[in-house]
Amino acid sequence: MNKRTSKLILLLFLSITSNFSLQAQRTVVGTVTDSATGETLVGVTIRVADHKGLGTVTDNVGKYRLQLPSSKVFTLEVSYVGYEPQRRTIDANHKGPANFALRQKANILDMVVVTGTRTPKLLKDVPIVTRVITHDDIAMQDATDIRDVLQTELPGVEFSYSMGQQVVNIQGFGGNSVLFLVDGERLAGESVFGNLDYTRLNMDNVERVEIVKGAASSLYGSDAVGGVINIITRNYDKPWNLNLNTHFAEHNEQRHGGTLGFKVGNVSSITNVQYASTDAIRFGNDGDFGSLAAHHSWNFKEKLAYSFNNKLKITAKAGYFFRERESQQLSHERYRDFSGGLNAEYTFDSSNSLMAAYNFDQYDKSDYSLASYLDVRDYSNVQHSVRTLYNRTFAQNNILTLGGDYMRDYLMTYQFADNGSKFQHTADLFAQYDWNITPKLNLIGGLRYDYFSDAGVHNLSPKLGMMYKLKNSSLRASYARGFRAPKLKEMHMNFDMASIFMIYGNPDLRPEKSHNFTLAAEYTKKCYNLTLMGFYNRVADRITTAWDREVQGQVYVNMSPLQIAGLDASASARWDFGLGLRLSYVYTYEHIEKGQPELSSTRPHSATIRVEYGRKWRKYSFNVALNGRVLSSVTCDEYTSMTDYTETVKATYPGYTIWKLTLAQKIGKAVTLNTAIDNLFNYVPDYYYSNSPTTTGTTFSVGLSIDVDRLFR
Amino acid sequence: MRKYFFLISVIGSLLLLVSCNGLFDDLYDEPVATVSDGYGFVRVDNANKSGTIYIDVTSYKRWTYINLKDKTTDTSNIIEGQEAPAKWDFAMHRYDVKTNGGAAFESSLSSIDDLRKGIPEGATFAADTLSRVVIDMSHMMDGYLDYDTSYVNPVLSRWLNVDLSSMPPIYTLSLRPYLVRLADGSYAALFFDNFMDENSVKGFVTIKYIYPL
Repeated sequence: MNKRTSKLILLLFLSITSNFSLQAQRTVVGTVTDSATGETLVGVTIRVADHKGLGTVTDNVGKYRLQLPSSKVFTLEVSYVGYEPQRRTIDANHKGPANFALRQKANILDMVVVTGTRTPKLLKDVPIVTRVITHDDIAMQDATDIRDVLQTELPGVEFSYSMGQQVVNIQGFGGNSVLFLVDGERLAGESVFGNLDYTRLNMDNVERVEIVKGAASSLYGSDAVGGVINIITRNYDKPWNLNLNTHFAEHNEQRHGGTLGFKVGNVSSITNVQYASTDAIRFGNDGDFGSLAAHHSWNFKEKLAYSFNNKLKITAKAGYFFRERESQQLSHERYRDFSGGLNAEYTFDSSNSLMAAYNFDQYDKSDYSLASYLDVRDYSNVQHSVRTLYNRTFAQNNILTLGGDYMRDYLMTYQFADNGSKFQHTADLFAQYDWNITPKLNLIGGLRYDYFSDAGVHNLSPKLGMMYKLKNSSLRASYARGFRAPKLKEMHMNFDMASIFMIYGNPDLRPEKSHNFTLAAEYTKKCYNLTLMGFYNRVADRITTAWDREVQGQVYVNMSPLQIAGLDASASARWDFGLGLRLSYVYTYEHIEKGQPELSSTRPHSATIRVEYGRKWRKYSFNVALNGRVLSSVTCDEYTSMTDYTETVKATYPGYTIWKLTLAQKIGKAVTLNTAIDNLFNYVPDYYYSNSPTTTGTTFSVGLSIDVDRLFR
Repeated sequence: MRKYFFLISVIGSLLLLVSCNGLFDDLYDEPVATVSDGYGFVRVDNANKSGTIYIDVTSYKRWTYINLKDKTTDTSNIIEGQEAPAKWDFAMHRYDVKTNGGAAFESSLSSIDDLRKGIPEGATFAADTLSRVVIDMSHMMDGYLDYDTSYVNPVLSRWLNVDLSSMPPIYTLSLRPYLVRLADGSYAALFFDNFMDENSVKGFVTIKYIYPL
């Protein structure tokens, strides 16, 4: 072989190997989008089938780049939470980008939820019955606050007014027995009778609302007697986004808001501002109340997150809320809330994660005089809390959850003697084990210890739940304890009620304790879903006020046990051609022995109905929905005297139905137009009882939402 | 480890910065501890024959008497059977008003000073009528209230409407100037300006007056 021949062989060899090398380093690129909206999807997983460890995720503009090891035929598997997975074969001749348009899953059971177990789990895998109201549900209703959402979506939920403030009844449980959370954090302050100021809970920038009915004190401690409602706010991972929205309705009801978000490198931020107002509403017919005062509110929220690396993420939050209620001609009631917090999440590895958080929440009430222009505060509840949560995942996705919290609770109120103040420390420790015994059988057990310094309460709250999955169905059963520690107000009140009587606190109050049994079955096939749940609650030592002859006033006491049992049934279907149906019904039986200061007044039957039809095109989509609320009448015993609990009379409160027709239209990528006719059949109460709906008849509303960022994509 | 230290420091600093009992105290006004000008005739303008009266009507058990001529106020306790003072022109019990043998007219004018122009044409004066006033609310929960029989002027008592159809009640001032013809034939103009103190506590009445007209 001469020199020339050797060179040719060498060149040929290099040519062949370089060709092999080029083929071996083949790169596939593409974009992943939502098939309906065309929006790019961030964080979508792209795996290569049968090649463990080979894969990537889409970046913050929905693009991916994947190195394939050879020129063979590969199959890409694309998956994303809430979307149908896709597979595509990439052969040796493939050229150009490999784009994917993913279709959203119609089944809500594939949504990730956190409230039932305090760990992210698919809804279908959560052993604790959880109901989810999605962002789409909220958007379709053009909802302003949590009242709009819960009443429309859940049967058995009634918001009414007491002392001019919103109060809630959820299947026999009042606002002080249902724990409301925002991103898992408690909220300070009460409006009246243990209810939060629900107008704080606006629905702008909310991703979903998770509802766990029944006792949940083994994870959440005090107040989680009748259930937990957790509002999960949105997170954005796009380079920037800007939403502006406005809403007008009868009684000059207005809502204007905006959300600005961005993500630059490791920093992301979401800023949300909302203004809402309404004129006074005067009811035409007589009633227990004749009008609702005009009010306006401002709500500002900021969430700033920084990822130090893949392991540590710190989120800072701040919020400001202001509401002014034009309660009187010469004085207005003002409500303010200041909140802030830091949250650190550290992921040790795929099996271990730790969360630590500090949260501050201050809710104030003041009276503003239009004569003297003095704004005098007479109520302030300040809560500092520190929370920790550790999750360890074992084989078969068994999860151990350990946590502990501390809170300092300070209360100054006009209801204490001389506008005085009190504070107490609370602390707790809890543990939970989520055990997948077999792929079909799950068992979950938890135990929590709570301590309240001022009440001197030591409490243990256990929980045991199981879920058994069959082919298209699942069975869930659980037993849980609930408890509610006496509030500072309930222990120390000393309040002159308009020179009529005094209300006294009781330092010797015992905590409310409940036993909660739940049994649920769920069947899902294709587009059909059927759920059936039965529950029984026995609440001992419920805290309420009772007339005390000795002091000739009201005194906080523990009352004899009450029992609440019920049945929840829900059937829904959503067909591909756009039609959706859902019927939810609850039956509630509440029993309280006569002679107790409270008597049952919960409506036994309640239902919500939704019929909707929607179609999507590339540049236009619509959804028209008819939502109905059906509430039965209730006949109950009422005492003939406010100071003696012996003689009763029967009282009947009428049932009613309210229907709302909504039309949501999406025009182009960015514009959503909502129109609605509320109280379609013009129901007006003949007499406005305290549990009557505060409607004056049929009303109209229109809302406009613009995702400005989408105009530029 | 430095990062953890940083994190702990941030949280610790925040805890130190945030007051245990809350923030933004300066956002609010301090309640006025005492009435700066006291009670009674708190402002008198002899040149214009006008002034301001400020009285405490928080008690259901008390009448407060106003003497426009002497610029004095006095009280009597109903429960203890105390008599009214010898000389008075009008009196208040809570938000009820009575005259001492006089009569009253509610004008539709916008300002009390407009009454200086003379008695409005067609003015009709209403005398006091026998009525009853609540002197003890504490038995309301037993289903009854304690009343005392008294004369009350129905027109003057319209200065404040208390709408009990809502709880808490809604208080609405008429914001109308009232003309009072006293027993001696002289006239006084009254304007009820407020029923709350500077801290928005109810039961403190501010009255502007012109006397004699």
